[in-house]
Amino acid sequence: MTSLVGMQSLSKHFNGVVALADFSCAVAEREILGLLGPNGAGKTTLFNVLTGLLAPDSGAADFKGTALIGRPVHKIANLGIARTFQNLRLIRRITVLENVLLCFKNQPGENLFNVFFRPGLCKRHEAGIREKALELLQTAGLADKANDLADNLSYGQQKLLSIVCCLAADADLLLLDEPIAGIAPEMAERILAIIADLPNQGKSAIVIEHDIDALKGIAHRMIFMDAGRKICEGAPDDVLNDPRVIEAYLD
Amino acid sequence: MVAIYAVIAAAVYCIVGLSFALCYATGRFFDFGHAAVLAVCPYCVLFLTRTLDFPLAVALPVALALGALLGAAKELAVYRPLRVRHASPLVLLIASIGVYLVLQNSISLAFGDDTKTLAFGPVREGFAILGARITTIQVAVLIAAAIVVSGGAFLLRRTRTGTHIRAVGESPPLALSVGIDAPHVGMLSACIGSALAGLAGSLIALDVGMTPTMGMRALLMGVVAMIIGGSQSPLGISLGALLLALSGALATQLLGSQWQDPTAFFALLVFLLMRPQGVMGKLTLISNG
Amino acid sequence: MEYAAHILVVIGIYAILGLSMNLIAGFAGLLSVAQAGFYGVGAYVAAFLALQFHTPFVLNLTVSAVVAGGLGFVVGGPSLRLRGDYLVIATFSFQVIVLGVFTNWTSVTGGPMGLYGIPPVHVLGSAITSPLGFLVLVAATAAIVLWIASRLARPPFVRTPKAIREDHVLAAVRGKNVARTKLSLFVVSSAMAAVAGVLNTYYMRFIDPSSFTVMESIFIITIVIVGGAGNLYGPIVGAVVLVLLPEILRLMGIPSAAAANIRQILYGLALVACMLWRPQGLIGEYAFGREATPK
Repeated sequence: MTSLVGMQSLSKHFNGVVALADFSCAVAEREILGLLGPNGAGKTTLFNVLTGLLAPDSGAADFKGTALIGRPVHKIANLGIARTFQNLRLIRRITVLENVLLCFKNQPGENLFNVFFRPGLCKRHEAGIREKALELLQTAGLADKANDLADNLSYGQQKLLSIVCCLAADADLLLLDEPIAGIAPEMAERILAIIADLPNQGKSAIVIEHDIDALKGIAHRMIFMDAGRKICEGAPDDVLNDPRVIEAYLD
Repeated sequence: MVAIYAVIAAAVYCIVGLSFALCYATGRFFDFGHAAVLAVCPYCVLFLTRTLDFPLAVALPVALALGALLGAAKELAVYRPLRVRHASPLVLLIASIGVYLVLQNSISLAFGDDTKTLAFGPVREGFAILGARITTIQVAVLIAAAIVVSGGAFLLRRTRTGTHIRAVGESPPLALSVGIDAPHVGMLSACIGSALAGLAGSLIALDVGMTPTMGMRALLMGVVAMIIGGSQSPLGISLGALLLALSGALATQLLGSQWQDPTAFFALLVFLLMRPQGVMGKLTLISNG
Repeated sequence: MEYAAHILVVIGIYAILGLSMNLIAGFAGLLSVAQAGFYGVGAYVAAFLALQFHTPFVLNLTVSAVVAGGLGFVVGGPSLRLRGDYLVIATFSFQVIVLGVFTNWTSVTGGPMGLYGIPPVHVLGSAITSPLGFLVLVAATAAIVLWIASRLARPPFVRTPKAIREDHVLAAVRGKNVARTKLSLFVVSSAMAAVAGVLNTYYMRFIDPSSFTVMESIFIITIVIVGGAGNLYGPIVGAVVLVLLPEILRLMGIPSAAAANIRQILYGLALVACMLWRPQGLIGEYAFGREATPK
């Protein structure tokens, strides 16, 4: 298996509080990595570093052989990394469909020159992605909400939408921050099915989730982290039987 | 000689800057209405002394009290209702432009747009210090600035009210959680800040005269002092004011006095883009949205 | 008739200014108080060219727009990294500097006295001197500006600014080049404001710095906010309402000296009222500066 994304000795401190300490790992192509750990273990910080929102104090990360650290956020996204947020970020005052359309990469119509001098190209591309977006919404079961404001969706639907957005970006690596936390079981099933299907589409994912049973069902491999460090790593059953993990999750 | 005039200019910027910083600490938005309050007070002094024949010693405190009242009024009538509606700082800023337009033009309607002066009696020669001629008013400006800066420092560092203001300025939710009545503290600092703005306006009027639009330039200079100082502390603002006034004096020497303001704002622009945290370190303005 | 044409010309010029402001304030949610500066740059460049080189209107219009657009690029590049209060102060600084140049660079701008004796526009050999004739010119130009704005106000282009005004971090995470998008809009907006300036120059045939102060910037912001930020036609509605409002004062027989102040007071009240009760303006859908309400 070739490695899609690699992290070497990433460290990050916030005013003396350790968020990441010497953290290294790799994710292979078509692999789903489950990330476990108590609150404040540094899981979200890791996502922020990988997507360029935070600069690490030290360490390196690469994606398909391209160095990530120091690269602007939008360029990292365009390399093929998409993410969701724990506190659910969407553009709330535009429609569900527009949210999905926003995520398509390399749209000619975003360029000022094309807007005025190649309107035909913009129009054709727009029609194409519109079709794809509706298809994605159809598959996810959100087609009937396409023209609603994102703000008017239920919490579960918004979480589903944020994953559809990652699919629209056609990213090779999805960073999913608690994709099923706080939503109804039926919706969680739908979301988990989408995640489980990612490898079949040639995609990889790192999934942060506190619902261990759900995570076990989709992850090929797990990492347990605490206080910014990798405590243990391996097959889901091995990690979940590790005494340190059991101790952390006993309460 | 240039240095002396620069120090006098700095003293004015400093009072304005501190008055704005007090309001900004708790209000957390750029309040253009502050500029109007600054101008209202000297016109009030003018009205009291000229029309009602009050002595300056009575008129000034009355005007400052009116300034404080006006600060409270705009807080109550406009800003607080907006905060209740979860308005962002930008919304408050736009509303404050409206407040400024209303107040400034009301002054224009009442007093006219021409330059008016508060000076009393014949113009005195002034004292000669280091080759500069300093008038009594200018001495008063320096003394007032010294009192305001040290008083401001005392208020913020040594009194309960000051501690509360700083607490609200740093984190309103946190201040609330330790039992500080944030709206009350905000109102108090708005009143003190507004009265100080009135004082600055009155001093400017006594020194060089007043126009209804005087507040805008004065406010901007105060804010520039605050940004260059990089701090809402009285010391930081004083330092910023001094730097601003010296650069203004330098621009006057090299390019002529008409380039003083453009140069100051050019320096500010460079400053904002290169070193937004100011000379004293901490980033103080809220960069929202 | 002359009077009506005059009012419509003024509305047309302010509609263009409002459309230009709407590109940055309405679509990208950025508040700039430098719009009158770019308006003035357009006006002065055109006046200078017309007086010094006797170049024709269309050429001057083009050069002015390019110069203002270039200036927008130079100024916007670094300042658009700032947001909120900082951006307001940075653009304010630019506004003061530009006004300082207009007022003090006497050899080029005529100083406080301004430039006068600007030749009228010639179309097909005949000079346009009547307000009615000029109205046709303004209407045609405004239509072109509206067309450009409408191109930018529809998807796919408008999606990114809309995303930026709501959550610029998320826009970047979605792979959008936030800086480039803001700068594109700023440059187009600056050039549009300059076009309004050129029209003003040729209409008044005289310009001085007093037309390009920060108060003018604030008036342009008021047009956008009262009309409806983020709506393509909002600025036009705003321009109509805010230009006609003081004319009503005139009809009521209020002396013109007081009317100027009363007008400003009305604008101030309109701003406060909008912020309090109708943040989306008369016909807008986007409440400027309001945070989206998270569930």
